[in-house]
Amino acid sequence: MLGLQLAGIDVSFPGLAAPALAIDSLSVTAGSRVALTGASGSGKSTLISILTGLERAGQGRILWDGVDICALSEGARDRWRGANIGLVLQDFHLFPGLSALENVLLPARLSGAMTRDVGARAEHLLQRVGLARSTQMIETMSRGEMQRVAIARALLRKPGVVIADEPTASLDSDAGDAVGDLLLELSTESGCTLIVATHELALSRRMDRRIRLAAGRIVEDGVIEERAA
Amino acid sequence: MIGFILADLRRLWAGSLVFVLLVALATALGVAVTLQERALRLGSARAADKFDLVIGAPGSETQLVLSSIFLQPSPLPLMEGTVLARLLADPRVASAAPVGFGDSFGGYAVVGTSTGLVGELEQLAEGRVFATLGEAVAGAAVDLALGYAVKPTHGLAELGGHAHTELAYRIVGRLKPTGTAWDRAILVPMQAVWALHGMAAAEHDDADGHDDHPHDETASGAGGDHPHIDADAALDEDWSKATPGLPAILVKPKSIADAYKLRQDYRSNTTLAVFPGEVLTNLYATLGDAKRVLVGVTTGAQVLVAAAILLVTILHVGQRRRQIGALRAFGAPRTAVFVIVWSELFALIAAGVLSGFALGFGAAKFIAGYLSGESGVAMPVMFAAGDGFLVFAILAFAGCLAMLPAVLAYRQSPAAALRA
Ligand SMILES: Nc1ncnc2c1ncn2[C@@H]1O[C@H](COP(=O)(O)OP(=O)(O)OP(=O)(O)O)[C@@H](O)[C@H]1O
Ligand SMILES: [Mg+2]
Repeated sequence: MLGLQLAGIDVSFPGLAAPALAIDSLSVTAGSRVALTGASGSGKSTLISILTGLERAGQGRILWDGVDICALSEGARDRWRGANIGLVLQDFHLFPGLSALENVLLPARLSGAMTRDVGARAEHLLQRVGLARSTQMIETMSRGEMQRVAIARALLRKPGVVIADEPTASLDSDAGDAVGDLLLELSTESGCTLIVATHELALSRRMDRRIRLAAGRIVEDGVIEERAA
Repeated sequence: MIGFILADLRRLWAGSLVFVLLVALATALGVAVTLQERALRLGSARAADKFDLVIGAPGSETQLVLSSIFLQPSPLPLMEGTVLARLLADPRVASAAPVGFGDSFGGYAVVGTSTGLVGELEQLAEGRVFATLGEAVAGAAVDLALGYAVKPTHGLAELGGHAHTELAYRIVGRLKPTGTAWDRAILVPMQAVWALHGMAAAEHDDADGHDDHPHDETASGAGGDHPHIDADAALDEDWSKATPGLPAILVKPKSIADAYKLRQDYRSNTTLAVFPGEVLTNLYATLGDAKRVLVGVTTGAQVLVAAAILLVTILHVGQRRRQIGALRAFGAPRTAVFVIVWSELFALIAAGVLSGFALGFGAAKFIAGYLSGESGVAMPVMFAAGDGFLVFAILAFAGCLAMLPAVLAYRQSPAAALRA
């Protein structure tokens, strides 16, 4: 379970007049569930790539439980990300030619984090997301099933935080609901922080907190009352 | 990681196959050229090895060697027959044998020589050495049975040579393979060649009446103006009598020192003496430029292939930016990305190079087999010790080549995974 402290973030891209992201400060308590909303182009994906260390922020500090990932080297950030962040993306990014199980295990294998426990956990997670046939080839699966494999992959190494970028956007509403359910349930079960960028009101309403971005700035940040009621 | 690489290659199998094929063909081209050139050089050197010193009339050294060692059909100037007698009397000479060319039969050279040379060439696989004017010994690659009657043609039949009708040789023996052009020769008594060409010493009278070769009868009938040659006349190998002109004499000196002295002594106005190996070496030196051109063309083709490969790979890595980014986004270290791209590429190139070596070897074997069949000269297609180094060098080069796309992938930002 990881908490986040953001300070003085400023991300600019060459050719853009205004910064794509400008956040003075933001903190997310460990174990909370946060929705990132905002119009297209408002900077949600940019924020996620900064939070996960996929992109370097031009300025500012990003502290995950006191670790400033901006100060880490490229290799160290890869290692840190592998160990601490579970990522779920809109386009799944599963690898054709591999089975569901092999896809879940691939990042762990590539980073040398493979143990027998990890293997057993992968099987267990696939069961948990409702996929009985772990040896099914990924290209033969439906989109909803693929996203569930991606969720199992994100949770494999018991990350402190699960971050999802539009996890339901390329799914129909039923499959989307199932994915939303799984993200919420599993992050609660494994006790990790959850950050989800989404357009879907239904999903964002089920989170503890909603942060709305516009033109790279936080324009709304609030606890969602409906849920509390 | 290996599972991932294999899955990736399996998915892109068609492209990978073309890729491997391209590398294999480029490699095979170079390998075949190198091996074939080596086989030609080694094969002809070995074929020449059996013959220490060749003496002929003054003229072209190369032509003398090509005609006497490789039995290439072309007229040689004649030297005086007394040279042979002089050589045989020379204490530095272990043996000397006359050779006479010019006739052929069905693509095989009919070569006149002495019984001594037949014995020196190789053991007989079957039969015996010729003992009369009308007998012949076939080389190992001559596809004619013992007892077959050979009616020689003057020159090559396909070049419009006329048939000698006055004599037919009967094959009475066959040599074991020598790996030289002589495997495709029909060896006959030198005296018979002289007789056929109207150069015989007068002692062979038309004495013997009975003739048990019916084909000879018809032959004599057809070629009415030629003197009849008695096929059953016993051979007289006393070369000291006045002998007609000779195109070449094959000499075996007693020692290396003798060989050099003999060569010096017989390089004069009336004779020419050469070491076949030396003549070949000079010939190869002359042909060296041709080889360099060939190697240059091959290298050019290989460079083109290497460039094409590099281009395709870099484009491919570019196309898969998102996938490569995703690997890292999900926690794979960038070194893993580097290793994956590098080993995938290297595996393909290595597969291509190794199968290219096999392919080139096969091609060289095929060509050498064809050429051997034509010339009789055995061409040993084989890898030399240096080729192992060559494989290593090519693979090392391939390893460096594969670094470039791998470095591109390594340096690529993983954020690409998030962008559509
Ligand atoms: N690499 C880049 N170079 C230039 N501009 C960029 C780059 N990445 C993002 N941007 C710009 O930054 C802004 C924010 O983009 P971002 O992808 O974060 O939006 P988003 O909120 O995720 O949108 P969507 O909901 O459509 O996914 C956009 O205006 C985009 O054009
Ligand atoms: Mg986005």
